[in-house]
Amino acid sequence: MNAGLTYRRLQKNHRNIACTYCKLAAFLIAFSFVSSVAQAQEVTDTFKVKELETIHITSKSATQQAAEQSIKASVVDTRQAYQQPATLTELINRTPGMRIRQSGGLGSGTDISINGFQGKAIRYMKDGIPVDYLREGFTIASIPVNSLERVEIYKGVLPVALGADALGGAVNLVSRRAQPRYLAASYEIASFNTHRATLSGFYTDSAKRWFLGMNGFYNYSDNDYKAKVKVTDPNTSNQVYDRVRLFHNRFTNVYGEMNAGFTNRRWADELAFTVSVFDLKRQQNHPALMTDPYGAVTGRQSSVAPTLRYKKSFLQKRLFIDQFLAHNTVRVQRTDTLAGRYDWYGAFYSIPGRVGESRQPALSDIDYTNTTSRTYVKYLLNRRHALEFNNVFTEVRQKGTDPYGPKLHNTDTSVISLPAIYKKIAAGIGLVSHFWDDKLETAIMGKFYHYRSSGTEAWQARPILKTDAVTQTGNNQGAAIAAKYNFTTQSFLRLSAELANRLPDQEELFGDGIWTVPNFNLSPERSLNINLGYRVVNTRKDALEINGFYRRTKDLILLVPVQPPYAQYHNIQNVKGFGLEADGVYHLNSIIAVNANFTWQDIRLFKLSSSADGWQNNARLRNTPYFFANAGIVADIGRVAFKEDRLKLYSHYSFVREYYLETIPKRLEPGGFLGLFGSSSVNTELIIPNQHFWTAGFNYAPSGNRFSVGVEVKNILNQDLYDNYRVQKAGRSFHCKINYTIQ
Amino acid sequence: MKSGILKMASWGLLAVVLLAGCSKKNDPDPDPDQNEKYVVITMSENTLTKPGYATAFDSKPIGNISNIAAGTLQGMGMGGWRPYKNWLFKMFNTSANEKGIERLNVSANGVVTSGGFLKTNNTINGSGNFVVQNETSGFYWDADKPFMIQRFNPTTLSRTGEWDFESNIKKTDEGINNQSIGQHFLAVKNGKLFADVHYGKNTGAQSGMFDDFFSGIYIAVIDIATGNYEKTINYDNTGGIAYINDNEMYSFDTNGDLYLVTQGRSAIGGKSKLLRIKAAATDFDAWEINMDDIMTGGKFVSIFADNGKLYTTIPTVALTGGPTGNINFSEIWEFYVIDAASKTRTKINDLPLVTNPGAAYGAQKLDGKIIFRVNAPSINVNGYFELIGSGASPVFNVSEGGSVSGVYKIEVDQ
Repeated sequence: MNAGLTYRRLQKNHRNIACTYCKLAAFLIAFSFVSSVAQAQEVTDTFKVKELETIHITSKSATQQAAEQSIKASVVDTRQAYQQPATLTELINRTPGMRIRQSGGLGSGTDISINGFQGKAIRYMKDGIPVDYLREGFTIASIPVNSLERVEIYKGVLPVALGADALGGAVNLVSRRAQPRYLAASYEIASFNTHRATLSGFYTDSAKRWFLGMNGFYNYSDNDYKAKVKVTDPNTSNQVYDRVRLFHNRFTNVYGEMNAGFTNRRWADELAFTVSVFDLKRQQNHPALMTDPYGAVTGRQSSVAPTLRYKKSFLQKRLFIDQFLAHNTVRVQRTDTLAGRYDWYGAFYSIPGRVGESRQPALSDIDYTNTTSRTYVKYLLNRRHALEFNNVFTEVRQKGTDPYGPKLHNTDTSVISLPAIYKKIAAGIGLVSHFWDDKLETAIMGKFYHYRSSGTEAWQARPILKTDAVTQTGNNQGAAIAAKYNFTTQSFLRLSAELANRLPDQEELFGDGIWTVPNFNLSPERSLNINLGYRVVNTRKDALEINGFYRRTKDLILLVPVQPPYAQYHNIQNVKGFGLEADGVYHLNSIIAVNANFTWQDIRLFKLSSSADGWQNNARLRNTPYFFANAGIVADIGRVAFKEDRLKLYSHYSFVREYYLETIPKRLEPGGFLGLFGSSSVNTELIIPNQHFWTAGFNYAPSGNRFSVGVEVKNILNQDLYDNYRVQKAGRSFHCKINYTIQ
Repeated sequence: MKSGILKMASWGLLAVVLLAGCSKKNDPDPDPDQNEKYVVITMSENTLTKPGYATAFDSKPIGNISNIAAGTLQGMGMGGWRPYKNWLFKMFNTSANEKGIERLNVSANGVVTSGGFLKTNNTINGSGNFVVQNETSGFYWDADKPFMIQRFNPTTLSRTGEWDFESNIKKTDEGINNQSIGQHFLAVKNGKLFADVHYGKNTGAQSGMFDDFFSGIYIAVIDIATGNYEKTINYDNTGGIAYINDNEMYSFDTNGDLYLVTQGRSAIGGKSKLLRIKAAATDFDAWEINMDDIMTGGKFVSIFADNGKLYTTIPTVALTGGPTGNINFSEIWEFYVIDAASKTRTKINDLPLVTNPGAAYGAQKLDGKIIFRVNAPSINVNGYFELIGSGASPVFNVSEGGSVSGVYKIEVDQ
C-alpha cells in the first residue's frame, strides 16, 4: 500500500473502503506488537502510525522504509527472488550504483563497488552488526537469497546504528524472520553440478514470550565450467588459447545458525543467544590471474561462533539499548604441498624436490580469534528528536603454524607463529530529527575511530627479521549530516554529506591467508562524500530515482595485483570524482513492468605529490568500472491454470563498459559521449572488455506461496565474462529451483 | 505524477543501457617512414607486477618526453629488458607478468606489441632466465626442470630441446632444499655456456633467493657445440650471484673480459663482489672488488663494462630491507666508474642520488655514448644522462609513464 493517504484520498482512489479499514486495523495491531519489541530495532523495522488532524496512515514495509530514510539507501527485496534461482550478487548488480565483481563461479571472491568505492570501504553487516567475525562463512558470494529478508545498501553516509567506519557505504544483510511462525526450504540444482539448499524457520509461542529460530544453507558446485585459457605446448613452450574445463574448482559451504531467546520480559525486550557454525572448502584452480593451473591447492575456513544480543527499552520506551557480543575463532587452512604441477587438461607432472604449485607452499593452520562488542543506545528526547550512540569494538588476534611458511632469517621460527593483533573502536553519536510534520528529516552525527595493529609481512622473497614487525596506531574523527525533504507523499529530495575516515580492516592488514598478502603499512582512508538524490513514485508503483554523488578521498585503499599470484591492499594517494545514477521502473500494464538503471562515474586521481606519478593526475582510478547499466522486463501473470496460481516471466540484461586495469592518461581515454565509445589508442592488454550478461527465466507458484518452481538461464549469450582481469566467469548455465514454505 | 513522465524516463534509461552496449574500435593512426626506432620503457607503478609502457620514437628522445602515445604498449613486466641486436626480450610477459621469454615487436609505424612468448614455470624466481647465443640459438632455465638447461630458437621464440645435468651437479647434503643450473646467471663466451649452479636452503618462491648453502658461488662450464659438461668453477667467500630479473648483472668488456656481480650473502649485501673471468679463460682470476671495502652494509646491483672501465652504483648508506627498507626506492645510490686495472673508483659528477635500477640497466651505451639511468623522484629527475668527461648531462627526462626502466635503439623493417 502506498504512503500517507488520507481517508478522503483513500475514498477517491480505492474502491473498497471497508478493506481500507481492515488494513488500518491490521496496521494498528502490527504497531502494538512491533512497538513492544521493535522500537528497539532500527526505525527501518517498524510500522508507524501517527494521529494528525485528519488521520494519516503511514504503512510502509520495512523494505520501503529503508529505501526512503534520510540516509541514502537502496534496498534489494530478496523476498521477490525467493522463487528464482538468482544469486545475491546478481540481485545486487541490478541495483544502480552497485557493482559486484566476482572472480569465478559460485563461492568465489567478491569485490563490491558502490559509487566508485570498493573493497573494504564497503562494510558488511548482518542485522546491523559487522559480520567480519564470520570471515568468508557468511558473504554475499555464498548466501542464498532465501536466507535473507532484504539487503540494505547504504551509499556514502551510514546511520549511526550501523556504526561502521565505512567510506563508500555498507551492505546490511537482514535475516529472514518475517513471520511469527514459519518453516521454509528451497533447493536449487544447476549446471556445473551445482546444488544449493536453504532451510529456515522461526517459532514463537502465542504469548510471544520465547522463540526458536534457525537458518541454514548448503552450497556445492564443481564450478567446472569451460574457460578460455592460454595452454602451453610441452615441446615448444609456446602458448595457444584453448577452452578447457576447470578441473579443480569445487566450492562447498555449509552454514547453520540456531537461535533461541526470550521476548517481552520485564528484564528484556529481547534476549537472543545464537550459535553460528560454518565450514567452507574451496579448491583453487588458478592463482589471482588465470595464468597457471593448480590441481591440488585447497583452502578451508571453519568456525563456531556464539553470539549474544540483548535489547531493552526503559523510561516508557524513550531509552533503548541494544547490546551484541561475539567471541569466536575462525580457523583458516591452506594446503599447497604437491610435488609437481598440473596442466590445464588435468594431467600431472612430477617435479622431484618441488613442494607446492604456487609461489608459497603451505600447510598452514591459522586461527583468527575475534571479539566483537557492539553497543547501541537510543534516547527519544521528544516526539521529534532522538539521540543515538553506537560503539563497535573489534579485536582480532592471528596466530598459526605452517611448516612451509616463511621463517625468520637464519632461524626455524615460522613467521606465522608470531602474534599479530588488530584492535579497533568505531564510535558514533547522532541526532535524528523530524520537522514540519515530518516533511523534513535530518540526521547529524559524529564518529570517532581508534585502531592499533601489529604484525610481520612475510610473503616477499626476502630475509625476514624479527625487527620487521610493524605496529600502526591511530585516531580519527568523522562527521556526517543527512536530510530528506518530502515534497509530497510521492516524491522527496535527499541530501547527505560526510567527512569520514576508514580504518584498514583485518583482511587489508593481515591478508586472507591465501592470495591476499598482508600490508601492515596501510594508512586510514579519509573522504568527503556528498550525495544528492530525488525520488518520485506514483500509485502504480512506477518510480524514478536520480542520484548524484561527489567523493574526495585521500589514501584510498585498493586491492592491486602484486607478485603473482598475490594481491595486496595499497593506499592510492588522492582520488576525487562524481557520478550520476538513475533508476526507473514502469508498469506497461497490470502484468508487465520494465525497469532500467545506469551508473556513470568519473573517479579520478588528483594531487599526486610524487613527480614520478604526477602524470597520473586526472586519470581514471584504475581497475574501476565507470559505466554500467541494467535493463529488465518482468511479467507477473495470475490465474494461468488455477485460481490461485501465479507465473512470473523475467529477463534481465547487464552491461559493463570496458575499463582498464592500469592507469591511462585522460587524453588517451576512449572518446565519445562520457567515454562510452571507442577504445584507448594505447595498445593495452590490461583491459576488461565490454561485458554483456543476459539472464531469463520464469517461476511458477501453483497455489499461493507455499510451493513454487523456478527455472533460469544465465549468460544466455554464452559470453566470455570477466569481472576481474583474466579470470573468466561461467558461460551459459541452467538453473532450477523449488521452494516450499509452511506458515 | 504523470505516468507519462515515468514512462518516458524508463524508456530513456532503457535506451541508454542498450546504446551503451554498442561500441566501436578506434584504429591507431599510423605514421610510417622510419626504420630506426628508439624504444623507451617505463614502469608506471612500483609493484611487483611492474606495470608500465613501451613507446617507440622515430628519433633519439631529448628533453622532456611522454612515454605514452598512440602506438604505445601498456602492460606488465616493464621493469627492464634484455635486448639482443634488434630484438627486445623480456623475462616477464606483458599480459600478466608471467615468467618466461617475451619479445616486443615494433612496427614500422611505431606500434609496439608483444610478439611471442615462451612460457616457463611461473612460481620460482629466476625461471625464464635466458641468454641469446645467436639468431637461432639461446639457453634458458625453467624451474620445472631445475637440473636442466633448456634450449630455444630466438627467431621463432620456441623451445628446441634441453640438456640434463642432474648427474653432474646434484648434491644430497642435509639442508639443501633447492638446486638449479642457470637460475641466476647464464652467459655465452667463446663457445662455452656459463651457468650458475645453485645449492640453496629455501623452499617455494624463496628458492634461490639469497639462500646459498655453501660459502661461495659455483658456475658450470658447458661446451655449447657438444653439450658436454666440462667443469664446475667456484669463487669462495661470496654469494648471491647475479639475480633473477632482466638485469643480468654481468657485462663483457670491450676486450672480452667478463665481469659479474655477486650481491652477497643476503638481500642487503655482505661479501658482495665484482668478479672477473678473463676473455680467454674459463675460470675466475684473482681479481675482485669487495663492496665491504667500499661501503659497509652495501652491495653491487649493476655493472656495465667498457674499455677497461666498470660503471656501477654504490649505496651511500647501509642498505635496509623489508617493507620500509631503503634498498629499492630510496635515493641512496651513486654512480661510479671503476678502473678495472687499478681498481681506482671515481664518482660520476653531475648526477644526483638515484634509486636502485632493479631490473633495469644502470648504465649502458646508446648511439656509442655511455648513458646512465637516473631516477630521482624527489628532484623531478627521471630519465637518462650521458657521460661527458667525468660528468654527465641530461639526455631526456620522462614526464609521463612512470619510472624509466630502459632505452634501446633498434632497426625495424619498412
